[in-house]
Amino acid sequence: MPAVKPAAGRSGSASGERVSTIYLKRVLREPLVHFLALALLIFAGYGLLGVDTGDKPDTIVVTAPKIEQMATVFTKTWQRPPTAEELKGLIDDYVKEEILVRQALELGLDRDDTVVRRRLRQKMEFLNAADAETLTATDAELDAYLKANAATFEIAPMLAFQQVFLNPQRRGETLAQDAASVREALLTDPAMDPSLLGDPTLLPSDLPLSDKTSIGQTFGAEFVEVLDKIPAGQWTGPVNSGFGLHLIRVTERVPGRVPTLDEVRDAVAREWTNAKRKELEDQRFAELLKRYVVSIESPAGAGTDP
Amino acid sequence: MKKPSAKLIIAGFVCLGSALPAAAQETTDVGTLDSAKAGKAFSSKPVYSPYAGRNFPTRPLFGDTHLHTGASFDAGAFGARLTPRDAYRFARGEEITASSGQPAKLSRPLDFLVVADHSDNMGMFPDLFAGKPEVISDPQAKTWYEEIKAGQGGKAALEIIFSFGKGTLPKSMIYGPETRPYKNAWQDTIKAAEEYNDPGRFTAFIGYEWTSNTAGNNLHRNVVFRDNADRADQVVPYTTLKPLGSDNPRDLWKWMQAYEDKTGGSVLAIAHNGNLSNGRMFPLIESFTGKPVDKEYVEQRSRWERLYETTQTKGDGEAHPVLSPNDEFADFETWDFGNLDASVPKTPDMLEFEYTRSALKNGLKLEAELGTNPYKFGLVGSSDAHTGLAAMEEENFFGKTTPQEPSPERLTATFVKDAKTGITVMDWEVGASGYAAVWATENTRESIWDAMQRKETYATTGPRMAVRFFGGWDFEPADAETRNPGAIGYGKGVPMGGDLTAAPEGKAPSFLVAALRDPIGANLDRYQIVKGWLDDKGETHEQVYDVAWGGDRKLGADGKVPSVGSTVDTENATWTNTIGAPELIAVWKDPSFDPQQEAFYYGRVIEIPTPRWTAYDAKRFGTKPLEGTRMTVIERAYTSPIWYRP
Repeated sequence: MPAVKPAAGRSGSASGERVSTIYLKRVLREPLVHFLALALLIFAGYGLLGVDTGDKPDTIVVTAPKIEQMATVFTKTWQRPPTAEELKGLIDDYVKEEILVRQALELGLDRDDTVVRRRLRQKMEFLNAADAETLTATDAELDAYLKANAATFEIAPMLAFQQVFLNPQRRGETLAQDAASVREALLTDPAMDPSLLGDPTLLPSDLPLSDKTSIGQTFGAEFVEVLDKIPAGQWTGPVNSGFGLHLIRVTERVPGRVPTLDEVRDAVAREWTNAKRKELEDQRFAELLKRYVVSIESPAGAGTDP
Repeated sequence: MKKPSAKLIIAGFVCLGSALPAAAQETTDVGTLDSAKAGKAFSSKPVYSPYAGRNFPTRPLFGDTHLHTGASFDAGAFGARLTPRDAYRFARGEEITASSGQPAKLSRPLDFLVVADHSDNMGMFPDLFAGKPEVISDPQAKTWYEEIKAGQGGKAALEIIFSFGKGTLPKSMIYGPETRPYKNAWQDTIKAAEEYNDPGRFTAFIGYEWTSNTAGNNLHRNVVFRDNADRADQVVPYTTLKPLGSDNPRDLWKWMQAYEDKTGGSVLAIAHNGNLSNGRMFPLIESFTGKPVDKEYVEQRSRWERLYETTQTKGDGEAHPVLSPNDEFADFETWDFGNLDASVPKTPDMLEFEYTRSALKNGLKLEAELGTNPYKFGLVGSSDAHTGLAAMEEENFFGKTTPQEPSPERLTATFVKDAKTGITVMDWEVGASGYAAVWATENTRESIWDAMQRKETYATTGPRMAVRFFGGWDFEPADAETRNPGAIGYGKGVPMGGDLTAAPEGKAPSFLVAALRDPIGANLDRYQIVKGWLDDKGETHEQVYDVAWGGDRKLGADGKVPSVGSTVDTENATWTNTIGAPELIAVWKDPSFDPQQEAFYYGRVIEIPTPRWTAYDAKRFGTKPLEGTRMTVIERAYTSPIWYRP
């Protein structure tokens, strides 16, 4: 491994002692001047200002901020700063990677590599993506968005009901007849405990107020549609589900509605932001596209349809 | 030799001031309710109203604990464009456009999702520009800074990049304004989860995958956070590459410990694809040292690895036909060609350390030896899809990778090919599996995570069947006749994931089992209980019992229920629910219980045969499948075990 010392001595001083707080504070307090001075030095030394270094071997400078970055990632990973030895390990590995990457670039190994191209594209798209924090909508904008997309935010209708289940496997041919007599019993004696009737099942016999989607998750979507048309209060049925027959009593029904902004502000803000983000991304890509003349040749043997 | 470019040097100037960890928060962990405590919470004292005090979970929540998006390095390389936000939107039931450009929508929403992108190579950019506003001395920098404040961050970011390229970046911009135009993918992932987490309706978990894959041997784990952004944001995901990361799970456990110690948060890990580990997933001898696993290993593993992902697109891991020759359902979507990259072929001696059932058995052995069972895990299924689409239904399967999204080609395309070993895996071998089912009382991060931690979970290979599994000492046949098996189950026993100890004199454990088929799915063939135990010579054994089944069938002389048959019309990709049963409920008592022997029991629910995704593809695209392509599937669910300890 290359034995590289940190460029600036202070970064190498993080020893194994328990100095996390001090270390972090020091990083925060680090005078900016220090960085600027270093920056200028390195700029001067390594060609930013057009200085040619001739035949001298290539130089790798592991800058103090780079070391700090590595130390910070370590600290965020392990919830403690690296020891001097660990930091040296990070730096040595960085130098190795830097050398291999430079060599690879010289050999042109990055060119025509699908993975590299996709990664670069992904990075551009990532950069291109608007920052969520920078997109903030006014209440008026959110309200307009809610009204324009009411269906997206609609609060689903809710139902509460009781059901008595009849299992076709257990009842066989008497299924319809049994269903009729259970219904009869429930209608004749309103005080009858419905949990005494019917067959054992994992299906809940008494469902509290739940939205239609969640009822559908358990009973099936078609069943919910039938349920939705049953008037509240009276035992009715039998209603068919994928499992068997059900006698139903809808106990409460809350119709669906479009909520007010206050009720769904977070969701509206999220969707507004997503829409805005998409719009900005498209716009930015359109700007980039303007920088290019794109000409697409017809592939040989392609059809001539317009 | 070229000179180092200016860009490179500038890139070296990094200040991560804003990324420093916040002070540790003193919060206690309330997420470790064990099954014993959970059991006590459900009073068994009879009350008149069967619904009073009913605070146990009444509906299983379905989700995926293992989904990749374009932010995963390999997924992106395969052409996945969807982001974590897209993944959450799709999972909660919205229609979105897949990376292949076609519309995609689930038949019904999932209840929760963990976006688990690979931690290695996840960071898109270091925080190059995180700096302090007071450096904006340069007019250009100031303009950009103001643009960013005014919501034009992206425009500024692009200009900054172009400036970089041209070498015209103002010097003060080396530190830049506090713009964070270079976001990092982890923070973006966290943010996406926060935006879509909707307690009570849909849970978006924060998580990632630690992808230990040395020499192609799969030791991957998904890490799932119970916590919100305030804690998850304090840490960066653990990686596998030295010097910062490690490919040894022991180091991941240390990372998990450090996270919990520092933030007061809670994390758990879910390993997967033992079938591609070449004998390393559930070791007796650790591959890293060549030494037998020790006390520290078994204790740490049992502490952090509460669940195992036993079924997914790259093969099912419950049982292997070589290990369980008497189990006619053991050979299910088997991937046993070798390790993950197909560089080393499989040999039979590896299998014992790769499959769920053999691991559960070896766990009993290790517990007898070291006092802790490292393989005392609950079970989930998940997708491991690299598409951002948790679409694991046979007739709505969006593949494992973007090139495997629906197309006329995927029935005949090659997925993995290693020239040296000669191993070839075709796309048709990828399974449309699976999902995680969790018995949680509420659809929230806390409630679902706590249910995972106490292992009250089961795996399904795709269908959303509701499966109950309770063990106790006093279940009797009449309990299967009550209107509310859930209430009886919690009242008289422990749910899946729980423990039975101290057998009452003369009693054998009894189990209340119940399964309800997917409301839009196929009927159930049978409910089986798989028992594994350790005899007094230290040898392990297993036995599969049929305990409930549909239709008019009788247990045969061999103790097995005859085949349910099949109604599948492969050509038209249809089936009918004329065989099997929509619901199975029974009570079963272990007929050969020895109170001195450690044992485990888990439920396996078998569906009637249905068309496999390949049959739907052949029908819809009119493609001719390759010879040997499996066209039907017998879907199933596997519950977390209940363990018995003398």
